[in-house]
Amino acid sequence: MYHRLSLWIARLARLTAYAGGLSLMAVIALTCVSIAGRALDGLGFGPIPGDIELVEFGIGFAVFSAMPYAQFARAHARVDLFKPLLSKTINRLLDLIGDLFLLGFSALIAWRLWLGMIDKGAYHETSFILQIPVVWGYRAAMATCVVAVIVALFSVLRSTRALLLPPSMPHATET
Amino acid sequence: MSRFEIGLWSFPILLALIFLRIPIGVAMFAVGFGGAYVLSGNSVMMLSQFKHLIYGEFSSYSFSIIPLFLLMGHFATMGGMSAGLFKAAETWLGHRKGGVAMAAVGACAGFGAICGSSLATAATMGKVALPELKKYGYTGRLATGALAAGGTLGILIPPSVILVVYAMLAEQNIAKLFVAAFVPGLLAALGYMICISVYVRLRPQSCGQRDKAPLAERVSALVAVWPVLTIFVAVVGGIYLGMFTPTEAAAVGAAGTGIVALMSGGLTWRGTGEAILETAASTGMIFLILIGAKVFNNFLALSGVPMQAAAWVGALGLTPWVILAAVLLIYLAFGCVMDSLSMIILTIPILFPILEGLDFGLPHGEFGLWFGIVVLIVVEVGLITPPVGMNLFIINALDKETPISETFKGTLPFVITDLIRVGFLIAFPVLTLGLVRWVY
Repeated sequence: MYHRLSLWIARLARLTAYAGGLSLMAVIALTCVSIAGRALDGLGFGPIPGDIELVEFGIGFAVFSAMPYAQFARAHARVDLFKPLLSKTINRLLDLIGDLFLLGFSALIAWRLWLGMIDKGAYHETSFILQIPVVWGYRAAMATCVVAVIVALFSVLRSTRALLLPPSMPHATET
Repeated sequence: MSRFEIGLWSFPILLALIFLRIPIGVAMFAVGFGGAYVLSGNSVMMLSQFKHLIYGEFSSYSFSIIPLFLLMGHFATMGGMSAGLFKAAETWLGHRKGGVAMAAVGACAGFGAICGSSLATAATMGKVALPELKKYGYTGRLATGALAAGGTLGILIPPSVILVVYAMLAEQNIAKLFVAAFVPGLLAALGYMICISVYVRLRPQSCGQRDKAPLAERVSALVAVWPVLTIFVAVVGGIYLGMFTPTEAAAVGAAGTGIVALMSGGLTWRGTGEAILETAASTGMIFLILIGAKVFNNFLALSGVPMQAAAWVGALGLTPWVILAAVLLIYLAFGCVMDSLSMIILTIPILFPILEGLDFGLPHGEFGLWFGIVVLIVVEVGLITPPVGMNLFIINALDKETPISETFKGTLPFVITDLIRVGFLIAFPVLTLGLVRWVY
């Protein structure tokens, strides 16, 4: 049951990261085309209008969508200086506490972003040049925040399990 | 408790959380958020900030350079450019005494020109160079030490992710910083090579001999690295000729390395997927720290600690050089136990304004460039010092036969080289600033 869940969460985190990767590639392609257009200015071409805004939308989504995977893969920087000095149980307890912190963070961010999204929707704020409603960026980010909370919940489950079950059980090997 | 005292207390609490292995970014976030609550009795202000702060930071145009450079580094890893660079360096340097190790360092410098991360440089070059070093009879100690040290060139030679972050925090010009890092980066590579040369003369049994490569082979190996050179010139040259913004340059670089990787057949679907996941992992890590540090520093500003600290330092009446030395020692000490990026993000907003106000006899606007390069080198020393020097572990993991203690010993001469170089850069700011003055 747990392993099934673990596989699904891994897939979810990876898919979200891939979506962000596609967004990053789109930003790269768009920027290159825009530069080429600017270089060929004299021939009737030109930079893509509003390219900076589009980059901001794309990068915003890419960064938000990286969060769940970073959490799942335990990629967040931590200081392991005292790790060898502490017992395995203490270390697992600390892992759990760290994951609880991350869960609190993800939940708080998701909650505030939700309110921010409602604000932006209510004011009908749009980007400067292309008039793209800013709320779209918030909606895309919100979707990844939901994934982030799910992954954070799973991570708490994962470290609780590692703490409570005997060490012979597979633990965090999926990363 | 006064506001100032609350601000001061946050430091031991933050350090305790960090040393208890709470992820650094979220520890800073929690202490900053909690501290602001204690200061103002509620969280209304912080909470209303969060509605737009996070989205604003994540989608900021200037930070967009970070994921792009990360992806570029991963594409570079897949494009087989590391093997080409090592081959070119080996055919030119390999026949010297300790030459294959020097070639590894030289190839790291070359790879650093298209990759902005030390860990990626160390890992990539390690895979290519370790088997060759072993083949020519280099000891594990020298081989892993040289590669771990060479890896730090990845971040010193532009493009560099940490320099980008520093530029944002200290409000410095990224292009000028990249130019400023150029000569110190070359000095680093040269210093490591001299270090190897001295080392193998003191311990002649630690390396073997390699035949001199014929000239035709040398030239063809050198010609084969043209993509690396082209991409480097396009990215760094484009930025400081003003042809691109740094973000555009990063996008061009990522596209260029991506195309090279595609041509070389290294960019498979699977490889692309892995590059995206690696990029996501590092991006998530860096932006969590950025948000955490932002919240923590907002709280500190609210408590008035940075202002009081600046006043206190001013009242000490010490010469600027003593203060600089103290700051660098702190970086050196913390660099040995903490990851360099977190350290820069956490401390620059506090320390930079204090130091910027001191007089080092530099023209206006140049202090930030010089200080950035010196700090970068000092924190990078932490990457190759025990107990948590990441480069050491990455390289050591690639070499099954060498115990980690040998790798520790192997990097020691390189650490000494680093410290000597820092001394030179501090004593002669022109080494860092000369090229900037000449170009601009």
